[in-house]
This record gives sequence, C-alpha cells and structure tokens, in this order.
Amino acid sequence: MTIARPQTNAPEFRLLATPLVLFLLVFLGFPALVNLIYSVSEVTFETLRQPRFTGLANFLSVWSDAAFWQASWFSLRFGLLTAVLECLLGLFLAIFLSPLIERRSWLMAILMLPLMVAPALVGLMYRLVLHEFVGPVPYYLWTYFGASISFLGPGSAFWTLVVVETLQWTPFTLLLFYMAYQAIPSEIAEASAMDGARSLQRLWFIELPMMGPTIAAALLIRFIDGFRVFDNVYVLTGSGPGGSTASLSIYIYEAFFKQGAIGKAVAASVVLFVASFAVLYGLNALASRRKGAKR
Amino acid sequence: MITILRWFVFAVAAIALNFPVLVTLSTSFKSARELSGNPGLWVQAPTFENYRTVFEVSDRLNIFLYLFNSLTVALMGTVLAVALALPAAYAIARGRIGERTLLPFIVNLRAVPLIIFAIPLYMMFQWLALLDTRLGLGLILTIVNLPLALVILVNAIRDLPAELDEAALMDGANRTQILIKVVTPLCRPAIVTSLIFGFITAWNEFLFGLMLTTSKAVPVTVGASFFFAASGGGVQWGVASAVMIVGALPPMLLGLVMYRQISGSMTAGAVKG
Repeated sequence: MTIARPQTNAPEFRLLATPLVLFLLVFLGFPALVNLIYSVSEVTFETLRQPRFTGLANFLSVWSDAAFWQASWFSLRFGLLTAVLECLLGLFLAIFLSPLIERRSWLMAILMLPLMVAPALVGLMYRLVLHEFVGPVPYYLWTYFGASISFLGPGSAFWTLVVVETLQWTPFTLLLFYMAYQAIPSEIAEASAMDGARSLQRLWFIELPMMGPTIAAALLIRFIDGFRVFDNVYVLTGSGPGGSTASLSIYIYEAFFKQGAIGKAVAASVVLFVASFAVLYGLNALASRRKGAKR
Repeated sequence: MITILRWFVFAVAAIALNFPVLVTLSTSFKSARELSGNPGLWVQAPTFENYRTVFEVSDRLNIFLYLFNSLTVALMGTVLAVALALPAAYAIARGRIGERTLLPFIVNLRAVPLIIFAIPLYMMFQWLALLDTRLGLGLILTIVNLPLALVILVNAIRDLPAELDEAALMDGANRTQILIKVVTPLCRPAIVTSLIFGFITAWNEFLFGLMLTTSKAVPVTVGASFFFAASGGGVQWGVASAVMIVGALPPMLLGLVMYRQISGSMTAGAVKG
C-alpha cells in the first residue's frame, strides 16, 4: 500500500516550518538587505534614513585600507595556526589518555571545563594571569628563570593570543577525537594485532585514517571559529599593539563603533558575508559530491 | 610505567587547560594586601571580602541585575530557539521541506562571523527601541542558538521510526497533533540537550551583549568588565577575580552536571552538521 503521503501533507509541513522562516526573514533577511543598501551608500549616524547612493566607493575604501588587509591576514593566520595546534594537541591527548578516560569518564568532565567558560571571561582572566605585578606566570618565570617577557607587547601579543585560544578550545577537539577513537570497532585492533602490527603502526596505518573525516571536520570548525574570533582578543589586547591583533570581526566593530564609518564597516561585512557563504557552500557541494561518489 | 606517564600527562593537561580559572579562583580569595606580595597560586589567608564587595549594590554596579539579565536572555534565547526549531525540524525530517535549502543555510549560519549581522541589527534595534532591552538580546541569542538546535532535533526525529507517524495518521491525527503528542515526548532527550547547550552558549555570549546593551540589559559577561575599572585607580584584582568566578560559575556547574549530554551534542553538530 503506497500512499502519496508527502504530497498530501505538504501544506501542513510548510505551516510547521513557517515560524522559523519568518523569524529568519525578519532577523537575518532584513539586516542582510540593510547591509546591501548601506554598502553602496554614503551614510552617517545622522542620515540613517536617507542613504545616498555612491556605488562602489565604500568597497574601494575597504579595498585600499591597509588595516583591512592586516586584519584579514591576522584572522587567516590565527585561524589556521590555532586550528592545527588544537587538532594536534587534541589528537595526542585523546589517544594517549583514552585508557584512563575509558574507565573514569569524569576525567573528561575536568578536561572539558574550559569549554563552559565564556571566552570573554577567559580573556579577562588572562589579563590577571599574565599581569606583570599580580600575575602568577610572570611571577613564576621571575622566581625560577630570573626573567619574564611582556606577553602582550608588540612581538609576543599574537603568540600569546594563539596560546590562549588553543588552551581554551583544545578540549573541543580532544572530545571529538576521543569519541571517534572509541568508535573504531575493537575487532579491527584485534585483527591487526594478530597480523603482528605494532601499536604505532596500527595508529598510523589504521586508526588515524579511520579518524580522517572527524579530523577534517574539527580542523574546519576550529578554523572558522578562529577566523571570526572576537571576544577573548577584544578583551585582552583590544586590537593593539598598533592594530597588530585586530581580527576581521574587530576591524568591523571598530570601524562602526569607534570611527563611525558605517559605510566602510558595512561594506567589509558584505565582503565577509559573500566570502564565507561561498566557501561554505563550496565545501558542502564538495562533501556531498564525495558522498555521492562513494555510493 | 606507561600508566604513570599517562596520569602525569593528564595532570599537566588538566592544570594547563584550567589554569586561568584556577588562578582567578585563588586570587578571588586573596586580600588586597596579600595580593601585592603574593602572586602565586597558594592563598595564605583566605578571605571572602572580595565576594562581599561584588555583591554590594551601588548605583554604578549591580551584579544581581547582570546575573538576572544573563539568566533571562539565556532562557529566552534557548526556549525560543527550540520552539522555532522543533516544528521546522519535523517538517524537514518527515515532510522533506527545505531539506536542501533551509537546512544547509541554517547550518552554515553557525559558521558565519556574527559581526556581519551585528551592525544592521544595531540600527534595526534603534528604530524598534529594542536597544538595551532583555527582549532584544534574547531575540538575537535565539539566532545564535538556532543552528545547533535544528541540527540536533532533525537528527533526533530522523532516528525515530516513521511507522509511528503512519500509525497515528491512520488513527486520524494530523501532523501538528503528531508533533505534539508523539514526536515531542520521544525527542525529549534531544530537546533537553539543545536546551542545556543553548543556555551555556547564550550565557557566555559577549559580542551582542557588548554592542546592544549599555546599562539596563547588560549581561554578566559584559558587566564583569565594569568591575575592572570600578575604583577609579588601578584594577582591584581580588574583586575583579571574584566577579569573574561568579559570572563563570553557572555554566561551569551546568556543564559539570550535564557533561554527557553536552559532549553528545557537540559531536552531533560537528560530525553530522
């Protein structure tokens, strides 16, 4: 008995999805429209309702702004570096600690704790941790090594931020990899052990390849989050020293709130919007083609 | 031998990853005088003075208001997101509505830098008089929470046997009734997971709190930084530490109690999204 169910119920299903679609249209569709209009207009806080069409002037001013390129370069470098470091560290911890965590899952709860703290608060906490007079890190460095560095100074601020971000989000990759590692069927380990594979060989030739898709997903997610970073960088360094730690998110924020350059901020938003959706849909298409090829 | 090494690595990782929280916790129990002489982790003469100062309400600083704001907007952003996502998830999973348009769009939303929408939303809120209101911030947090809630719920409904729906249809129920009476009770674990995860995400949000609120609706992530400049002179680090612990504690406790559900939902978003 085959009933043409989906067709007969389609209007009812549409109705169920309607509230979500309406909500998105109001809170994302409308802002997207405003973005598009303002990005090609000359507008100030006084003339919000009478934007004057100026063509691509805003985009050109973004394009020729050295700070924009500096911020793009910061975001790209920051996203790539933190994603790779978090995945390496997470992979090591997940595999090396799995015999301990298998038997006592509460150990994972302790390692996961940093994920529950607001990144903005973690950033503020590091202002204390790295403080030259009251911070324990400079204190211990002085006590045991007789020297300390200025962690948020010109040469080191970038690397300090990379470490801060990596330490907060390594638990995420650790968790992901631990679950993927646990999901490898135990028969595979037993079979390869019978074949005489040593544990390092097994890791390299069997287990890591099996975790490949998870590693790729973790790299992508962490890259995206690192690329769009705002909270912890903003509270730790603002964008300094000398704009050297402004991410693209901070660039847009400062263009709007500190300089009042609405047109420039909005044009940069549109660029970022188009770029991220292009990349994401490209990746989606790639992933679904690969899935199709496998079938 | 290798087991000892594993425990050693675990201890180093646990301390290194939680180091900022440990330092802040220890500093929050130090008196101002001890702080100037002892930056180490160990507290010599623990005191609750800093916490007393934090909970003192002045006309400039009101920790109770910030906590209340965070609680309200986080609850609103979480419940509304699930309420919008659940029927849509049902339509996507069973009616296959928007499976190739709506679903990928919302999933991608999670990866888009939110600052893109922040500026037009700021202007829109100015027109609608939603700036510095809990309602306004709650609505934005709904957007932040929607992607993961939708992914979790779509996956949960897809895992339910379709025969349940068919049996109920035979009995003359319509889709809305099935959603309320059959699907929702069976999806309760997934709903709880999205609520917990959404609450933690919303509580910890900073960017929109910073942009859209100034005094009345300030959440605790933003309000905490007010305490850094509280005394006019330098930062009172003991007080600042106490306020950070107060602001970080609710999601941390929730996370500790519910870490199983949370770990599940994180992987759901990552692997299937």
